[in-house]
Amino acid sequence: MTYRKPLPQIEPANQPFWDGLAAGEFRVPKCDNCGHYNWVPFPACRSCLNEAQTWTPVSRDATVWSFSIVHRGPGAFNEEVPYAVVLAKLAEEPRGCIVIGNTVGIDPADLYVGMPLRIVFETIEGEDVTVFRFAAADAAEPDEADAALSVENQPATVA
Amino acid sequence: MAGIERWNPVARPRQAAIAGVYTTKQGKLPDRTSFSLQLEAIKGACDDAGIPVEEVDGIIPLSMSDHLPGTTATQFWAAQLGERPLGLMETGGASGALAKAALAIENGMCEVVVLFYGKAGSLVGPRGTAAADKAPRVPDWSFYQSGAYMTTWYALWAQRYMHEFGATHADLAEVAVFTRYHATLNPNSIMGRKGEITVEDVLNSRPICEPLNLLDCSLDNDGGYAIVMTSAERARSAKSKPVWVLGGAESTYTDFYTTINDPWFPEEGKAVRRAANRAFDISGIGRDEIDVAGLYDCFTITTIRDLEEMGFCKLGEGAEYVKEGHCRLGGSMPTNTDGGLLSNSHAGDPAGMHTIEVVRQLRGECGERQVPNAKIGVSLQQGWAVHGMAGVLVMAAD
Repeated sequence: MTYRKPLPQIEPANQPFWDGLAAGEFRVPKCDNCGHYNWVPFPACRSCLNEAQTWTPVSRDATVWSFSIVHRGPGAFNEEVPYAVVLAKLAEEPRGCIVIGNTVGIDPADLYVGMPLRIVFETIEGEDVTVFRFAAADAAEPDEADAALSVENQPATVA
Repeated sequence: MAGIERWNPVARPRQAAIAGVYTTKQGKLPDRTSFSLQLEAIKGACDDAGIPVEEVDGIIPLSMSDHLPGTTATQFWAAQLGERPLGLMETGGASGALAKAALAIENGMCEVVVLFYGKAGSLVGPRGTAAADKAPRVPDWSFYQSGAYMTTWYALWAQRYMHEFGATHADLAEVAVFTRYHATLNPNSIMGRKGEITVEDVLNSRPICEPLNLLDCSLDNDGGYAIVMTSAERARSAKSKPVWVLGGAESTYTDFYTTINDPWFPEEGKAVRRAANRAFDISGIGRDEIDVAGLYDCFTITTIRDLEEMGFCKLGEGAEYVKEGHCRLGGSMPTNTDGGLLSNSHAGDPAGMHTIEVVRQLRGECGERQVPNAKIGVSLQQGWAVHGMAGVLVMAAD
């Protein structure tokens, strides 16, 4: 089934991030001067305005910082309601990163603020991009999880 | 009011005043175009002021223009209005743009400024987005990849707020209840004819983006409006009662929903706090002097956060402030007396609607929903990210 939800129009400057997802890494620009992480990526560090930053793989550990269960979705998303949108806070500091995304393998009704999450990856069939999702921290690694999960529990991955 | 000079003709001979306001019909307007609503609003607000459209020399177009591709709305309207050299071209949110227009008028850059907006035939909510045949491509960090949209962002904000301050959905619902009550007293509101609602009605309405239900959300309709501002000297001889601009300010702090920082609700506040503090300082008005307020209410949570950031109550106490009845007609600061964006109208960019209602209140034109003896009012417009950009305008009538 064709994936019909929006995907990134990758900017050259951000290619290392998307390459990272394909390689099983979630890379965040880390300032070479002050060591702060910056999400979303900006051309210069927002703490010290230094332009030199390094795409740095992070632990992929995160917690739910906020979430919403969506019952009315735009475009193709409306075929998958209800689905969860989370703001996840990565474990890394300083300058904590809050990342928006969808969940995989989590019943939206089980979500709570502070719930431990882990970033996992999903290669989109027929497209040139790998995307990330948030799974429960105690879930099996994605390959096993993909096989084990029921469709109604993974609205974000119906493809 | 002691000690406040609303208009001192010696010290501030050119002090700006809102001389005209106008709203088109709001609702489903399938036979209208956005352009036609904007032009009607411009003509209507000028007529309300008694100032010929030909004398407009400053514009604040809040709508895009699609008539001449590659042409900005400002360029299009400068040409459409007759190719007279204009003296002010302002963009941005309504209350902040009006604050800057007032400074421009006071300092002689221009004489008559019109802010206007109109939209017909499109929807801003998810109903307006058709499913694509294949994956559309959007910018790298766009929230559209996650199926989020405006309502989702305010829901995420509400969820985090409820987590931090222990507020409940029933607390948020109180905003929809008082706002709908006001709409029932406004014959032009879209939802007034449906009658009052209860907290239970809000909690039982269908979920859109939890924790926000249908009745926590603003409307999604067509409509237009305009506001004419000019100098005090001109406003005094204009057709309608002038509403003096005492002061205003704007502020912005973040990008368009890509960067979110922890904390989301810092004690020192963000853009709305800064704009409000500056606007009250500039105008010399205290918060307890406000008779009527128009506070941007795209969702129930927004009004609660508005009240806190504007300094009408403390952080985390917005819901309690609403429950104490301050915002309801008859309370200490009736708020969104037209029914607001929740129950009067939200036509896409309703940034000027709150100012228009405050002007009508200060003129004493509000009939059943009139705040008795309303002399001083404030409007807050916010947008971009949640409370990402803010404008505050303090106004008064004689």
